[in-house]
Amino acid sequence: MKTPSQELSEKIIERLIREGLITAEAANAIQPKLAEGKLRGEDWRLPIELGVRKEAKP
Amino acid sequence: MSVHGLKKLAIEHLRGSVVPFVLPFEKNKKLTVVYGENGTGKSTICDAFEFVGKGRVGSLDNRGLGKTNRYWHSVGKKPTDVSVTLETMDNALCRASIVNGEVVANPSDGRPRVEILRRSQILRLVAAQPGDRYAEVSRFIDVSGVEASEATLRELIKQLNSRRGEAIAVVQANEESLQQFWESAGKPGTDSLAWANVEAKHDPGATDADVAALTALQAAYSRLVDYPLRLKSANDGVQSAKNELVAAQQKAQESVQTIASDAGELVSVLQAARTYLHKHPSPTSCPLCESDEKVQGLSDRITQRLASFSGVQDVQAQVKMAESALIRANQQVEMLHENAEKHLQEFETVLTGFAWPADITIPALPQDLGILEAWLSETAHLPAEWKMAETLRQDKKQFLTTLNRALTTYAENVLAQKELDALLPKLNRVLEIVEEERRNFSGAILAKIAGEVGRIYELVHPGEGLNKISLQLDPAKRASLQIGADFCGEAGAPPQAYFSESHLDTLGLCVFLALAALDSPENTILVLDDVLASVDEPHVDRLIEMLYAEALKFRHCVITTHYGPWKHKLRWGWLKNGQCQFVELARWTNQSGLTLIRTLPDVERLKLLLAEQPPDPQSVCSKAGFILEAALNFLTLLYECAVPRKPEDRYTIGDLLPAVKGKLRQSMRVEILTGTDANGAPTYKCESLTPIFDELTRIAEARNVFGCHFKAISFELLDSDALQFGQQVHALMEILTDMDAGWPKNSNSGEYWATSGETRRLYPLRKPS
Repeated sequence: MKTPSQELSEKIIERLIREGLITAEAANAIQPKLAEGKLRGEDWRLPIELGVRKEAKP
Repeated sequence: MSVHGLKKLAIEHLRGSVVPFVLPFEKNKKLTVVYGENGTGKSTICDAFEFVGKGRVGSLDNRGLGKTNRYWHSVGKKPTDVSVTLETMDNALCRASIVNGEVVANPSDGRPRVEILRRSQILRLVAAQPGDRYAEVSRFIDVSGVEASEATLRELIKQLNSRRGEAIAVVQANEESLQQFWESAGKPGTDSLAWANVEAKHDPGATDADVAALTALQAAYSRLVDYPLRLKSANDGVQSAKNELVAAQQKAQESVQTIASDAGELVSVLQAARTYLHKHPSPTSCPLCESDEKVQGLSDRITQRLASFSGVQDVQAQVKMAESALIRANQQVEMLHENAEKHLQEFETVLTGFAWPADITIPALPQDLGILEAWLSETAHLPAEWKMAETLRQDKKQFLTTLNRALTTYAENVLAQKELDALLPKLNRVLEIVEEERRNFSGAILAKIAGEVGRIYELVHPGEGLNKISLQLDPAKRASLQIGADFCGEAGAPPQAYFSESHLDTLGLCVFLALAALDSPENTILVLDDVLASVDEPHVDRLIEMLYAEALKFRHCVITTHYGPWKHKLRWGWLKNGQCQFVELARWTNQSGLTLIRTLPDVERLKLLLAEQPPDPQSVCSKAGFILEAALNFLTLLYECAVPRKPEDRYTIGDLLPAVKGKLRQSMRVEILTGTDANGAPTYKCESLTPIFDELTRIAEARNVFGCHFKAISFELLDSDALQFGQQVHALMEILTDMDAGWPKNSNSGEYWATSGETRRLYPLRKPS
């Protein structure tokens, strides 16, 4: 059975992908850490930065 | 863990089970009501479920007993005697026992999931402190993992905002520096940045060759500067040596002349003789004249004569020294000439080996060393000019290096600022989403719990308007949960402040059921230990109906109660009990422990009496009369029939049966659910009650004769009339009631009275006028 954190992290990741803030690939990497509370600042920054760069180079 | 239906619960020496006790469960019934008066062992059954499911016994908590496991075993038994075994319909077993003071389940993963609510805990969620209340629901809304990740995101944004501020400050400082450079350069071009970019394209190392050549030129020139003075000094030394030699020679000549004209030659002869005599110290004759006369003491006499010539020797030594000094002075002059020629050659190499820029003055070379001094004098101003030209070039290089560095820093910080300008809004949006989703997630779960609590509560207290329950996290505090309800138009009022004790009990039960149903209810055995105690009479039936309905969500539900009316209402089938297994506990004794009583509904008992061979007319009439009174009591109330008023509702069949008469009796019929048609619509068969009532009216006297009192007249009546009375009553109950769905009490259709699930439809709805 999923923990509330796992359920919530799924919703958050789904929304971030839907809004184009991260890629699905990056999302897979960060979701477990997001639920476990192990996501560091750099872990947040990298996927968002990749999204920004991708946006800058269409 | 098996999730099949329960088969039986075996309890050995736990609490009241002084002898092994087995509670069997009926197949396909998910609700078990355990009825027993106080002290019959109901709580022991609940303890057994908790023991096997959770490894503890909670009924002794908060009784001032300290560590309660000392009291878990039955009196006279040891902890190791305790065991509880739950068997399921697939014959899987889970046995819990005490090993080394710990409750151990075998198999360890076979523990059933159990949720227990006891009477003493019923207000736990409602009246608890907000923090304790949060603890109860935290397993559903605890998102501390996401919250921790959210905190790192918030910190990252804070750091990046700070870094962006620093980048902006550095960009401003760089711009000011460039402006100063530009102004120093006389503000060429349109603006400082455009100018700096053009300037920065110049190679700072372009003047390195000029600087190196100028350095070499100055060094070569400086090596020439001392030669005139050094040459003059060397020439002076030669002249001085010459003078000293002449003087020494003259002095030596004068010294020889004062002694003898051949003194010099004589001294030489004497010195040779002394050298000879040193080698031959005892000659027999003079080595020069071969005379042996005066040969004795010859050596001493030669020494004495040489001593008289010592002044001449000194002068001759001085001459030799002067000659050597002159030689050295001449060598010095020669060497200086060679070095000067060499350094002059080097200077020429430096001078001709580089393409000198126009701003550098290059002198013509001196033709020979003779004019070096004059040449140096003419060119003495040039080293300072060359030094200045070198300094200018070094300054230019330094400037370009500094400008480049400023431009690089400026560009880096502008880039960093731009990157942060693009990144920060995204990160802020991510944070907004995380916060929003977290709030929505917790809010949705709490709203779902609150909605469920309200829904269940409304089943018990319909129309009282107290069902708008709210659960809200306190935004100012962590892990704090507020409970509220609508009361007299005031939203969010704390129910503890306004609700009656009975209403609060119901609310506590509803909260417990809502939470238990939220977490895998299909795998959960729900145990409610005597939770009906304070519910007031008008609400009990609805509470029981609600429990029936909610129990179906769970794997199994066990409810213990000492509420007597429940027992009787179940006996009479007044409550729907299709899913319900009703068991009754006899009084507990320390010899027999827990004991079950088999309780049969009265209609079932009548059926058994009729089936006996031979049947007993007296017993049949007695039981049938009792049942008929109950049925007529129900119907006369339902149709508001006129019956004589009597104290304490002591009505008899003689009072009630005639009241069901006229148009009412003629129109009374029951539709019995038989199944569904091809379209899934329910199908019914219709049975009229009129012939049954008519027949009962005809033979009702049989009940009084056979079933109530001893009367000799009964000898005159046929046993068949007595049995017919029993059969008619049984037929009436079979048509009118459904032991699984209860009695037809629901008028929501507006056309008929219906049982739960409309398995029976009783017409008419109202007594015809």
